[in-house]
Amino acid sequence: MVETWKITLRVYRQKENQESHFDDFQMDVNPDEYVLDAVERAWAFHDRSICFRHACHHSTCGACGMRVNGVEKLTCITPIREVTHNGATLKVEPLRNFPVVSDLAVDMGPFYRKMEAVGARAVLPVTEAEIENPPSKWDPDDSQYIRLSDCLECGLCMSACPIMATTPAYLGPAPLAAAQDQGLRRKPELLSIVDCEDGVWRCHSAFECTAVCPSFVDPGRRIMNLRTQVVDMKLRKLFGKA
Amino acid sequence: MSQSTSSTYVTAPRPDETTWIWLVKIVTGPLLIVLLIVHLIANHYVGSQPSGLMTYEDVIHYFQNPIIPAIEILFLATVVTHSLIGLRGIILDLNPSRTVLTVVNWFLSLLGVFSVAYGIWLALSIASQGR
Amino acid sequence: MDQTRNQPSARKFLSWFIPVGRQVGGWAFALSRVTAIGLTFYLFLHLYVLRLLALGPGHYDEFLKLTENPIIKLGEWAVVAAVFLHGFNGIRIVLTSFGVGVTRQKQLFYGFMIAAILVILIFTVRMY
Repeated sequence: MVETWKITLRVYRQKENQESHFDDFQMDVNPDEYVLDAVERAWAFHDRSICFRHACHHSTCGACGMRVNGVEKLTCITPIREVTHNGATLKVEPLRNFPVVSDLAVDMGPFYRKMEAVGARAVLPVTEAEIENPPSKWDPDDSQYIRLSDCLECGLCMSACPIMATTPAYLGPAPLAAAQDQGLRRKPELLSIVDCEDGVWRCHSAFECTAVCPSFVDPGRRIMNLRTQVVDMKLRKLFGKA
Repeated sequence: MSQSTSSTYVTAPRPDETTWIWLVKIVTGPLLIVLLIVHLIANHYVGSQPSGLMTYEDVIHYFQNPIIPAIEILFLATVVTHSLIGLRGIILDLNPSRTVLTVVNWFLSLLGVFSVAYGIWLALSIASQGR
Repeated sequence: MDQTRNQPSARKFLSWFIPVGRQVGGWAFALSRVTAIGLTFYLFLHLYVLRLLALGPGHYDEFLKLTENPIIKLGEWAVVAAVFLHGFNGIRIVLTSFGVGVTRQKQLFYGFMIAAILVILIFTVRMY
């Protein structure tokens, strides 16, 4: 027998030229299914006008990021059991700090442009990736092997960051992490992008980005590391070694 | 700034000598901890009474030793620097325009210089009252 | 058009201090920011008040009598508490900024806050 829970799915609704509101859907769900499944079911059987993004359903594409009960989550891997209980409400809202296009779908354009501006890599040679237990010295042939970048560009970190809330000019955790990933020594042209007031110095170490990242990117750590890289580059310039 | 990457920006980043400003803030932080401990110990453990500098007379007497105004002025300069840089950071988080930021920079710099100058005047004035 | 409503804006600065839907890091940020603003006010107030020392004997001692007021005493305690909370959180930031303890930054925060609370308690006992 599959366990069934009765929950109220509370969905944020906002269409163009209308005030936002929440719609409640009473549903029977299997608590081991995922929040995204519940949203899909609401769309399929209750209201076909619900707009939301989803694609791979296995935490690779980064499309289904939403706020579940106020906290950023990747809904395809968030079991219902984890975020509510039988008879309770499950609230889904779009990500913070992005303009809402429709209901749960937000405009990720500016974010993708920032990722492009720092040259974020979707695939990288395994010799440059941060992996567990790397060999002490890579074989030169190993650089032919490539690896998908950890970052899904899902935008959860951008939503959780307290600085992103007040200034769109801030680069944000994911772009800064992508810059760190490439390394300033390898790509010195990134220095002028990250070494500025809206770059790596705007971070206040809240580490909210790391807390919500579903993909082990740990942007907080990367931003801290990027800072040391910037200081390193500047000191080198100062003493003429760059 | 490299051309190809900055053109894809929605809002252009504002370069400044921010590395050094941040370094100053992060160095003044721990320095403040040390100076604060000195300041607190001095104010609450020396002086005529067990609870420290409790009267006007105590303070004047305490300031006669020239190292005291020196340390206090150093403490003042450090704390004003740290505080105003931090305040500037909070204002930057509100995404001010270039003009507003320039005004803020000037205002905070002048406030900082004035505060330290005031502190030096005050310290010397207190020290001189003991003669 | 309501599309702009979910956008970043300076007006959202209140969200810094009300960490809804945030985790412990959001609280650390809010705490540091609130104590920073509070301590800045105190700093300039303190500097202003100290000018009484330059006015000669009498003025400062008069002022010291005012500080017996329990509200002032509470304010003094608040300053001490703010200093330790801000200072210990700051040490956490210095450490993580130089790469020390970044992977355990949550535990660092909890540890430092417990230490701060302990120190504040010690100070409270000594002050009163």
